[in-house]
Amino acid sequence: MKMVAEFKIHHRQILGPRGETLAPLPSFAQDSAEVLRMYEAMTLVRVFDAKAVNLQRTGQLGTYPSCLGHEAAHVGVGAAMLPMDVLAPVYREFGTQLWRGVTMTEILTYWGGDERGNDFAVPKADFAWCVPIATQTLHAAGAAMAFKIRKEPRCALAYIGDGGTSEGAFYEALNLAGSRRLPVVFVIVNNGWAISVPVAEQTAARTLAQKAVAAGIPGVQVDGNDVFAVREVVSGALEAARRGQGPCLIEALTYRLSDHTTADDASRYRSGQEVKHAWALEPLLRIREFLIRGAAWDAAKEHALLEDCAQRVDAAVTEYLAAPKPSTDAMFDHLFAELPAHLREQRLIARRYGSKSSGH
Amino acid sequence: MVEAIALAHGWEMQHDASVVVIGQDVGANGGVFRATAGLQQRFGKDRVQDTPLAEATIAGMSVGMATHGLRPVAEIQFMGFLYPALDQIVNHMSRMRNRTRGRLTCPVVIRTPHGGGIHAPEHHSESTETLLCHIPGIRVVCPSSPARAYGLLLAAIRDPDPVMFLEPVRLYRAMRQEVTDDGQALPLDACFILREGGDVTLVTWGAMTTETLRAAAELDARGIGAEVIDLATLSPIDIETILASVAKTGRLVIVHEAARNVGVGAEIAALVAEHGLYDLQAPIQRVTGFDTIMPLFKLEHDYIPGVQRIIDAVELTFAG
Amino acid sequence: MSTFRLPDLGEGLAEAEIVEWHVKVGDHVRVDQPMVSVETAKAVVEVPAPFSGMVTALCGAPGDILPTGAPLIEFDSGTVVGTMPATSEEEFVETVKIGGAHRQELQRTRAVPAARALAKRLGVDLAALQGSGREGLITLDDVLLHNGASCSPGARALAAARPTDGTVEPLRGVRRAMAQSMSLSRDHVAGSTVCDDADIHRWTQRGDYMLRLMRAMICAWRVEPALNAWYDSGTHSRLLVAHIDLAIAVDTPGGLIVPVVRNIESKSPDELRAAILQQKEAAHKRSTPAEDLRDFTLMLSNFGTLAGRYGIPLVVPPAVAILGAGKVREDAVVVAGAVQAHRRMPLSLSFDHRCITGGEACRFLACVITDLEKPD
Repeated sequence: MKMVAEFKIHHRQILGPRGETLAPLPSFAQDSAEVLRMYEAMTLVRVFDAKAVNLQRTGQLGTYPSCLGHEAAHVGVGAAMLPMDVLAPVYREFGTQLWRGVTMTEILTYWGGDERGNDFAVPKADFAWCVPIATQTLHAAGAAMAFKIRKEPRCALAYIGDGGTSEGAFYEALNLAGSRRLPVVFVIVNNGWAISVPVAEQTAARTLAQKAVAAGIPGVQVDGNDVFAVREVVSGALEAARRGQGPCLIEALTYRLSDHTTADDASRYRSGQEVKHAWALEPLLRIREFLIRGAAWDAAKEHALLEDCAQRVDAAVTEYLAAPKPSTDAMFDHLFAELPAHLREQRLIARRYGSKSSGH
Repeated sequence: MVEAIALAHGWEMQHDASVVVIGQDVGANGGVFRATAGLQQRFGKDRVQDTPLAEATIAGMSVGMATHGLRPVAEIQFMGFLYPALDQIVNHMSRMRNRTRGRLTCPVVIRTPHGGGIHAPEHHSESTETLLCHIPGIRVVCPSSPARAYGLLLAAIRDPDPVMFLEPVRLYRAMRQEVTDDGQALPLDACFILREGGDVTLVTWGAMTTETLRAAAELDARGIGAEVIDLATLSPIDIETILASVAKTGRLVIVHEAARNVGVGAEIAALVAEHGLYDLQAPIQRVTGFDTIMPLFKLEHDYIPGVQRIIDAVELTFAG
Repeated sequence: MSTFRLPDLGEGLAEAEIVEWHVKVGDHVRVDQPMVSVETAKAVVEVPAPFSGMVTALCGAPGDILPTGAPLIEFDSGTVVGTMPATSEEEFVETVKIGGAHRQELQRTRAVPAARALAKRLGVDLAALQGSGREGLITLDDVLLHNGASCSPGARALAAARPTDGTVEPLRGVRRAMAQSMSLSRDHVAGSTVCDDADIHRWTQRGDYMLRLMRAMICAWRVEPALNAWYDSGTHSRLLVAHIDLAIAVDTPGGLIVPVVRNIESKSPDELRAAILQQKEAAHKRSTPAEDLRDFTLMLSNFGTLAGRYGIPLVVPPAVAILGAGKVREDAVVVAGAVQAHRRMPLSLSFDHRCITGGEACRFLACVITDLEKPD
């Protein structure tokens, strides 16, 4: 018998858990302003995230999926993408979205139950939050197809969770992207858990990156808590895609330090020990240590940054809370480009019975 | 209701070793609404399985399990996520018995939360039962109380054919009711008369039974006796009970959360027009969700019909 | 899952001591329900539940001092998304019937919806109308005709060639009653008719047909009582009546009147003659009392006084039979191979085949014939 195919999956790490440098730094990591920019973004999203959870607890926000622990993966991806690229998120990647110009107010508006949150003012071509799992991977492949047909140097990037890689749509998207050599990058954020189901119960595959092998595309694993590694690998993948070399699958290993959403109780199905160990590997710690080691950071700067983030978050919260409840017409606006005649009567009925109170 | 559902699972799994539970987060977590709480601890990991995250997988493997000796009770986490499973439901589950002339059958129950009203994120508030009711070969059931959830789920599990069991999420924890865990099933294909009255027939199901009963109480104060019928089995429809009621009252108002266009209310209206036209004293009224996408939760209570809309519809049947 | 932390109880108070828990692990609490009393430097304060759910852990015991922001209590909201509406305080009680709403026999006017709408528009009271549709259903034409308007479009299409000259004669009184009772007959009766002739050439006395017919029917009734009955389709039963109330068709200028001679089997021939005469006179004078126009058990139509050999008389329910007698005439009959001229009376017996068999009808008719053929 002869060997006709075999595969290797590599794992990339640059920063260790305490910020120690384990590999040569890519150029952006040698630029302290750039590193600071990423650290500030990671801090902002963490502060925002905590505030969002709080808002939910006090009944001012709907169910919210915290991104605690994912900051490096999300910011690393955001920093690697170009503004003209298109992002197809799942629903947790606020770090990427904030980097790309989605506002905190928009995020709160959406999770506060108002579709206007999806109407991004800045990254106008990005897809909106996607709740039906894995469907966004096909969207990204389709957008990439459009770029290819129109010969635009743009890429699509789709996120997916570890659980999402069990969905048929995911395999279909990889297969399509591979077979048509589409300029799309798929980033699996493997945070260990799909609500209560651990990765080991999702698949027998040793890595999720190796699902790329079945689609005939490159697959690589990266330490998702290492913002340098994430940015480097994603940049490389996007560059290759942009040059016409086709898609890539990247698996970013991280951990969901929070519950699945604010209504979940993760202590029902995972141990406190496991969470404690994960905290030791958390992404902000290591980059902070890196900065401090490089004499680019100190406690005073940290304090100032946190203050600044708190103010920016508070401003967004104020703006969000001040927004009036949408009128019932909102249900009929944008249903079609033009509202069909038979719905005009329903619009009147909705107005007549519109509840006076805001939210419930 | 959610506890009644867990009880029904427990009873049937205790008495029928072929019953198995599959779904996402149904095992250790007991289901995201705790509908399967405690079952994995009691019956083990073979009989209560967390599946990978894939609805087509859940539906497809149910077909495989059911045709080969098991009785799967599968959970689709929310109706909004049912659609990848439709291929298996429509193309296989519904027609397995028919196309093999009875050689292979699919005693499957697929349970899924139905409807909105709990401030949930996008796609978590769907009520698209019409899609399912249109499919021959499957039953569609929607309980409206803990007792009916218990009895109808038992009936669904015991039924030799596929049953889609839609659980109104707004009622999961809304009412406290004594439910005897005695394994007594309630009949499928039958309506339940929740309130008797002689002046107008109100047909509804699921969470809308709450608003409908409230409307009936208000109408009572105005001297209008409303008969409230819980459809319970959305397909096949027990039209006889409805026709008998309409023969008595002469007026019919159908209430459902789902959108109006081709909703199950349209089928009821057509059947009553066919078989009970001469008993009607006024046109049939439908009080339904609008023909719009279910809005995010800031507007969900503007979408879901309220008590006033039901009362106004009843008044309309008296206005002539 | 929710960990609720000790909130800032005001004025920057940094801590509070747990005084008393009002809930325990496993309790279902509703939003705003008092959970715990805590004592601050200033006062004892009730802390309400921030939302609904099941208590999964109390994070301190009475006497413990917690700083503001420390975990106070943990809940399971029982859902991974959204907020469950709070479980009601009271037990949910209902009385439920499974299916089986039964159709009641309500005396409500049944009308075609178009008729109902038109009646409303024209101000016509439906209850005043007699429906000409099945089982008294009021049709659009009923409303239109009641109002003197022309026919519904459908009928209009058929009547497209309606003559423009002529007099419209609304059917009232007995004519209207006939329309209704014949409609009733058409709707319900499964009519069947058997015809034959009675050879009356041996009669010693001519005339008196009515009396001979009545006597013949009485004889036949004694042999086949089933034709003197009332049929109830609802209970699927026939009431074999122990006497005969014979309705006799009388043709008058005002229309068909059918007075009833009661208990004909108990009356002497003279009594019968008198009764027949009396009823005929009353009919012509339009003075027949209402009670003499109903509740007959058998019917006789001697249409032969006018013309006609055989007919298909209509059975009027709930009675089940009607005998029609045609014009007596001289017929050529064959007797022992030779043609002779005999006077014969044609007879047509209609019966409701839902409850009368052909055999019963024919035997009845045979008896009638046998009796009629006697010399006297």
